[in-house]
Amino acid sequence: MTDQPVTTSNTRVRQVEAIVNGTVIDHIPGAMTLKVANLIATANDQVSIGMNLRSERLGRKGVVKISGRELDERTLSRLALIAPSATVSIIRDYQVVQKFPVPMPTMFEDIARCANPNCVTNHEKWSSRLAVVSLEPLRVRCVYCERGFETAELVLV
Amino acid sequence: MHFAGRHVISIADFSRAEILRILEVAQGIEAGQRRELLAGRLMATLFFEPSTRTRLSFEAAMLKLGGEVIGFSDAGSTSTKKGESLADTIRMVEHYADVIVMRHPRDGAARLAGEISKVPVINGGDGGNQHPSQTFLDLYTIAKLFPELIDGRRELTIAFAGDLRYGRTVHSLLTALCHFRVRLLTVAPRGLEMPDQYLHHARDAGIAVTEVGHLQDAIAQSDVLYMTRLQEERFPDALEFDHIKATYRIAAAMLEGAPPQLRILHPLPRVNEIAIDVDRTPHAHYFAQAGNGIPVRQALLGLVLGAL
Repeated sequence: MTDQPVTTSNTRVRQVEAIVNGTVIDHIPGAMTLKVANLIATANDQVSIGMNLRSERLGRKGVVKISGRELDERTLSRLALIAPSATVSIIRDYQVVQKFPVPMPTMFEDIARCANPNCVTNHEKWSSRLAVVSLEPLRVRCVYCERGFETAELVLV
Repeated sequence: MHFAGRHVISIADFSRAEILRILEVAQGIEAGQRRELLAGRLMATLFFEPSTRTRLSFEAAMLKLGGEVIGFSDAGSTSTKKGESLADTIRMVEHYADVIVMRHPRDGAARLAGEISKVPVINGGDGGNQHPSQTFLDLYTIAKLFPELIDGRRELTIAFAGDLRYGRTVHSLLTALCHFRVRLLTVAPRGLEMPDQYLHHARDAGIAVTEVGHLQDAIAQSDVLYMTRLQEERFPDALEFDHIKATYRIAAAMLEGAPPQLRILHPLPRVNEIAIDVDRTPHAHYFAQAGNGIPVRQALLGLVLGAL
């Protein structure tokens, strides 16, 4: 996963709105921007969204900024499933203190339901486990029913 | 290679060497008497949906090795009907038995049971997903007929016919055949072809796959013709089903020009796809195939219980 220089990225991020502290999710494929915002934001969060920004890598991209909060591991896993090309920047006192591609787990545990309606995990109280089998495009395989899926087929838990 | 305490969930969990070891143990058991091998051991058969061959042959396999059997063959008579989870059923039964053989209507149920159980779980069929003991007995049958499967001296031609989309036996068998030197012919009605994921896997393993239009083409070229049952519920149109049913039917007359070594296999039950007059031809091998379920299941039980 490539990444752009921090300065370039910062310039673009600021087209939306700078935040003092928090997290910026950049390089979101255009169509996924609102989904990412919905995924991350809680009722009390201050969230800024930029849509259809120009991107060398994606053509059009989205940016979601969330003030005062850094993302936990589970949220990062959910983000990896719906926007695997995204980058995450941690902002403290207006400065990017850390920037990294969204970490891709080898296994999504209890992040999304298996899309096979007859899979046992959709009928028993049991966490789903979806193993990553390819990255581009991102495809997963249910550990239980052994069926493979594109991530667009999955519903987040 | 370690089998004691191991679950048998999916054919994909087994390497070529492990598959060969299971076939070798089955052959040894068939050749000799091992009456008391599993004396004092108890097998629980949890059949949440009905089965004839799988349950009976596992029970026969256990009893013939001196072991004992408990179990049920109808989920309606169990606590499942009262709402007990599969996980809780397994947590209970693992204290009763030394090995669990389970059939369940949900895909993935055996893997889930294996994650919970401290005693080995053998998958006797989980929904449309896996049925590994059937695959081991299919391989055992082919290897007994054609030792070239194991030594690779000659490339075997194996044809799959019928419902290749939903038939779990052909999916598992193809996965296993990826370890061997074979070429594959497929004959399937439109819409019931072998799913791409299995074809890709086979081609990646170096297996040439050819789709042929008619059963007769497969009969003319094959060492093994593996027939599967067409299920009426897969066809929205009853007329179309009647037409296809007539196309996917072998009768003795069609076998007149067949290669002498051709053997017809079928996981059973057969309905219309193999006419009864085929039974009397030297090509019919499906009942012998079912009989091979005993030594193969004895081998699996003996290995996972650490007795072999």
